Amino acid sequence: MEERRGAVWRPPAGRALRRGSGGAGLLAAALLAGLAGAAESCEAPEGFTARDRLASKDVVVMFRTLPEAIEIGRHFSVEAVVCATPPTRGLRVDARMPEHRHGMNYRPTVAAVGPGRYVAEGLMFHMPGRWQLLFDVERGGRTERLAIDILLE
Amino acid sequence: MSSERLAAVLAGAGLLLGATATAQPVLDFEPAEVRRIGQHGPWPPPPTRDPSNRMSGDPRAVAFGQTLFFDPRLSVTGTIACATCHAPERAWTDGRARGAGLAPLDRNTPTLLDVAQHRWFAWDGRSDSLWSQGLKALLDPREMGASARHVATVVRADPALRCLYERAYGPRRGVDAERVLVDVGKALAAFLETIRSGRTSFDEFRDALLRGDRGAAAAYPLAAQRGLRTFVGPGRCNVCHLGPQFTNGEFHDVGIPFLVAPGRVDGGRHEGIKRLRADRFNLLGPYNDDAAGTAATKTRHVEPQPANFGQFKAPSLRNAARTAPYMHDGRLATLRDVVRHYSQLDMERIHTHGEQLLRPLRLAEAEIDDLVAFLETLTAAASPPPPAAPGVCGPRR
Repeated sequence: MEERRGAVWRPPAGRALRRGSGGAGLLAAALLAGLAGAAESCEAPEGFTARDRLASKDVVVMFRTLPEAIEIGRHFSVEAVVCATPPTRGLRVDARMPEHRHGMNYRPTVAAVGPGRYVAEGLMFHMPGRWQLLFDVERGGRTERLAIDILLE
Repeated sequence: MSSERLAAVLAGAGLLLGATATAQPVLDFEPAEVRRIGQHGPWPPPPTRDPSNRMSGDPRAVAFGQTLFFDPRLSVTGTIACATCHAPERAWTDGRARGAGLAPLDRNTPTLLDVAQHRWFAWDGRSDSLWSQGLKALLDPREMGASARHVATVVRADPALRCLYERAYGPRRGVDAERVLVDVGKALAAFLETIRSGRTSFDEFRDALLRGDRGAAAAYPLAAQRGLRTFVGPGRCNVCHLGPQFTNGEFHDVGIPFLVAPGRVDGGRHEGIKRLRADRFNLLGPYNDDAAGTAATKTRHVEPQPANFGQFKAPSLRNAARTAPYMHDGRLATLRDVVRHYSQLDMERIHTHGEQLLRPLRLAEAEIDDLVAFLETLTAAASPPPPAAPGVCGPRR
């Protein structure tokens, strides 16, 4: 499982493919060759520079945070592009600290801003430690969860 | 004197010399420790302006607010001023376990030092702005018991107050009493934003450590250094008491009993969020001056959760030595009692939604001494005095 570290979490420059987190209830993201459907054909729309990409067999989530650096105690937003087979019907974004067994103190709102494109607002990480940023993709009558670990120190 | 005895005396003398302000050692902090210590500064932070209050930082509003702060006529009985409970000479608090306005209150009176840095206000975060929190104190029957009409009448009837009001806001003919009340709250907030604490011996140590100046760092007491090491290390105190203010500004259940009185509980943050959402003066209401809407982000996205029950705001630790007693209900008299509370934490009391982070620290007495020594170094030698009282305000020419 890949982790990011820092008092202020900054994604690396340029687009990066990375694994989502595993664990109970989470879908381990697959970056294996030969992914079918969504993963193969998913491209960021023009003007959207995704900094992170999570993928499973049928779902790809590309996202970036605004501001780009996540700072403890500061609200931030997430812009996401979702490709899914069958097409997505919605997206929920949330976060939690597994070791502390709690989530955020704020409930993000997610708005669809275009086909497969979403903006989640109102996120805040209020403690240092390991956070999981969660993307719940609704499609075909089921929800698939992709996640990434972010370590704030 | 035997050589052994002489050696012991010399060693003792060396230890004593080591305990002086200039010659004691500096612990070999690991890079990770230095990084965590560095996160508690720099101090002071630059002044900030509250976008929800267009009078924030306006010296005319500060002068008006300062006058209001010390004026007991704002209370319905004419006997309680803001300064009655937030006394400047007591670090802007009252020294009591639980506050008392017109009637006894359930919670400890928080200091106003550095209050402009807060995200939420009051122990339960019932207010999302400093100015709306001031209004709650004015209107609460147990605190000042006023009404919008009462406040407007006081301001309009007194020539000096009216002068200061119009100097800050301009002619306000025709505005209703509620508007005057909000104007008063925003002027009070503008004044409160000027109450800032000064640098501490911890700040001097932190800065010296970061620039590698061991000579300057050695002025910091060794016991405080050991306490600091525990604070940012095994104690993990800095998970909630983080940053330059030594708080994350959020809410936690730290095992203080729920009962306020037999049969009556304090719901803490859970109640605070409900009150916030019902508050017509919150940042989602008509009096928020922030056209960009960013100030209200926190209000739009906060919702009560089961875990909020019994949570209270993590207070800043700056100047804690001057703000006894402690915890939201003032039940702990000394900093030593507070450290002992975390050392002996009652895990049975912390409900299932509580922080899994919390574990009894099981500190030895010497470690408790060190943590207390560290906390005492977060005290500014003296708080900067409040701004000079505004001059007499007369009719406009």
